[in-house]
Amino acid sequence: MPAPSTAHPDRLEHVAPEQWHEAGAAAHATGHTFFDWLTAVDRTEAATDPGFDVVVRVLATGPDGIRGLRVTTRVAEGSTLASLTDVYAGAAWHERETFEMFGIVFDGFRDHTGDAESGLGLRPLLLPDGFEGTPLRKSFQLAARASKAWPGGKEPGEGHDSVKAPSRRRVQAPGVPPPEWGPR
Amino acid sequence: MSEPVSLPMPTVGRLGAHAPKPMRIVLNWGRRYSLWVFNFGLACCAIEFIATSMGRHDFMRLGVIPFAPGPRQADLMIVSGTVTDKMAPAIRRLYDQMPDPKYVISFGACSNSGGPYWDSYSVTKGVDQVIPVDVYVPGCPPRPEALLQGIVKLQEKIAGERLTPASVTAREPSAGLAPTPSYAVHRTVAAGEVTRALVRPPAGSGSTGTGSGR
Repeated sequence: MPAPSTAHPDRLEHVAPEQWHEAGAAAHATGHTFFDWLTAVDRTEAATDPGFDVVVRVLATGPDGIRGLRVTTRVAEGSTLASLTDVYAGAAWHERETFEMFGIVFDGFRDHTGDAESGLGLRPLLLPDGFEGTPLRKSFQLAARASKAWPGGKEPGEGHDSVKAPSRRRVQAPGVPPPEWGPR
Repeated sequence: MSEPVSLPMPTVGRLGAHAPKPMRIVLNWGRRYSLWVFNFGLACCAIEFIATSMGRHDFMRLGVIPFAPGPRQADLMIVSGTVTDKMAPAIRRLYDQMPDPKYVISFGACSNSGGPYWDSYSVTKGVDQVIPVDVYVPGCPPRPEALLQGIVKLQEKIAGERLTPASVTAREPSAGLAPTPSYAVHRTVAAGEVTRALVRPPAGSGSTGTGSGR
């Protein structure tokens, strides 16, 4: 079996949010017709230009192998982004997931559901009915450790007669509720 | 086509409810060694369940009969794996479809308590928030021997049971759950019944963001 010839890095492109749809259409026009994935990264804690990095990866397939293209943009919190669903129909699930996980609204979202005029629009994809909040944002608190009783230690080294001082092992990761939320 | 005939749920009957003690021992002996099991496999623990059912460990020698056609033919549900809030209504619904008397083994850390996903926004912190559990098997994942031990523990529990309708319903509702009617076969459960609302930060704390405490 010949070695796969696809082990080359993607071409990376960073565009302004208003050029997002244009960049997607240009990628499609240059042969990147295979939609791979679309998601977001929470960069609201960045020092400069805080917001969400929206990433899309598309592939161009051909006899010479696979070429990958990764387009990113930085969306400020609360602002919207143009939907790529008219270029890549497969982006619909990914945009719905990005919408429910990060709260990023995609303008002009169409996934060929509902009536032709407006469709069913952006709606949750994976989360249970009635779930509130955007769980992949760093501001989303994982409040289980503050709101649910737990008999043992919640961090490594706690809950046993450990020689390690547990107070120095507090997890400061995003999403861990601060002390005023209660015992954790 | 004639109208469908509405049949009552099969029960162990009056004999089981009013049997004198020696007869009850015989009935319980029969029940404990013919547990038709229904595997609610949700994650890697289901593989250990399958291993337990295979030749080396072979829980059929304990009278546990796998491959019940569905929950309506099962006596025992083994929840093995990570229960998510989205899956929880389905578990509750299938539990409600099982005929009484019914038993639940929670197999593995995830279905016992949420396990390593205890901080997650989407994982239920133990299947006992949704359905009553008889035996918890710890481990991540537990070895097949642990499940065998759990089955033996459940059989010991069945051996000591009375089967009056009152005693069957008495073990049904567990703390914090809506009381289940004994023969709630056609009841449907919405996700809102088994999930909780958004947790807000405490007043005056100055902290931002909301969270999921489910």
